[in-house]
Amino acid sequence: MRVFICGFGTVGQGFAEVVARRQKYFLDKFGQNVTIVGVMDSKSYAVDPNGMDPLDLVSRKQSTRRVGDESYTVSTEVLDKVDYDVLVEVSPTDVKTGGVGLINIRHALSNGKDVITVNKGPLALKFRELIDLAKANRCKFRFEGSVGGAMPIINLCRESLAGEDIKSIRGIFNGTCNFILSKMDKGQPFEQALKEAQQMGYAETDPTNDIEGYDSACKVVILANSIFGRDVTFDDVQITGIISITEEAIALAASRNMVIRLIGEVSETKLEVSPRLIPKGHPLSISGTLNTAQILTDLAGPVTVSGRGAGRLETASAVLSDLIAIMDERKREA
Amino acid sequence: MIVNAELYVKDLPGQLVGSLEPISLVDGNIMGVVHNREQIVNHRICINVTFEVDDSAQLEKLKEIWKSKDMIISRMGSVYQTYTMEYMLIGEFDANYLEGLINEASEMITMDSMDMRYSSKTTTSSKRTGMIAVKTRSEEDLDRMDRFLSEKCKQSNITYVRGV
Repeated sequence: MRVFICGFGTVGQGFAEVVARRQKYFLDKFGQNVTIVGVMDSKSYAVDPNGMDPLDLVSRKQSTRRVGDESYTVSTEVLDKVDYDVLVEVSPTDVKTGGVGLINIRHALSNGKDVITVNKGPLALKFRELIDLAKANRCKFRFEGSVGGAMPIINLCRESLAGEDIKSIRGIFNGTCNFILSKMDKGQPFEQALKEAQQMGYAETDPTNDIEGYDSACKVVILANSIFGRDVTFDDVQITGIISITEEAIALAASRNMVIRLIGEVSETKLEVSPRLIPKGHPLSISGTLNTAQILTDLAGPVTVSGRGAGRLETASAVLSDLIAIMDERKREA
Repeated sequence: MIVNAELYVKDLPGQLVGSLEPISLVDGNIMGVVHNREQIVNHRICINVTFEVDDSAQLEKLKEIWKSKDMIISRMGSVYQTYTMEYMLIGEFDANYLEGLINEASEMITMDSMDMRYSSKTTTSSKRTGMIAVKTRSEEDLDRMDRFLSEKCKQSNITYVRGV
């Protein structure tokens, strides 16, 4: 199985490490190795039809800040330089235009390549187009890691809960906001909690996407389209961030044994991200950077999943699960 | 749900308390008790109790306990489900604004009970926080309340936070 990785930041490097770690598993289960035949970061690229050592790529990136010796300006031209089976698109997300990720995914699908992505921008903006493109070109298109990182939710709903009538999904889809609100539970003001989140690397220097609820909104859109079969985009989500949550509000909620959490909610009729009052002890009242989701089904009742929403190996594990699913499908079809 | 039950218990000391204790055992909330000593049938006296339990599973458990204590349930009625929701408002408003909202809402929605709290203005912020807890007899009423408060908050640039 030949893989091309677009984006060699935290997740790309994590995925390369995971590929190196799981070679025996691939051989035992599928009788073949997974080889990385191409990789590009924002400036440079490396390609080799015979495959490259994943750990060498990681150490080169870490020591030189470049994954390859060659520079490029047009990413799709790099994609055409080598033949591959699966594109792993993990470049930085752009929720306004879809960015280079959208261009790469479109290019790969148009050329009949299977695609795995954790890039929320293209999915939140052009979900239906990309699904249709994948269908038209008979490609497999998977994106488990785009919602909740290591927390399995998309494949859980589509595969393990197949046959269930899923009424709604409510969840905490942004670990940064949850970290800030958890700190506020302990008496920290919003600004201090945000600063701490930034110092610990949970929040970006510009935290707008997280605290205004845009990141969660992208995930809600992906769930609405992929689980509920809706055709919605980012602009359809009713979004309220956590920026106006005060210490008094947290204290008043606590006086009624409640906490405030930023909840994304999706159903046939709802598409919303907003701060909500959650009773302490409720599955959605968790603290820290964890993501969690409560799936309400007609037969199984409520099903709750929880996991790390971000991180090098955590998100890479979601990409790995998609890769294995694609290899399984290919094996069945062979 | 709120339940009204009529029980017949043996006319012996401790039977009244014995009939009420199981309600607390299932985490129910006693709202009213009438000990009707004039109404005696087969050496048993009548107790009429109104209480609230969370769901029918709790009610079934309670009925089992009463039966095991040889208490006869002669009637169980006026049962209705109640729905609770909390709403929080954060922004620049005063107590009159909140009271006005509640008055307007109560003209449209039948509320079983309503509890309102709000914070004082602080030196660091002009924002106040108000919290309203509402109990209604239908989910539709809660939906109406949600739509009403959501709309009003949007008009007044107030952050609206509701329960789940």
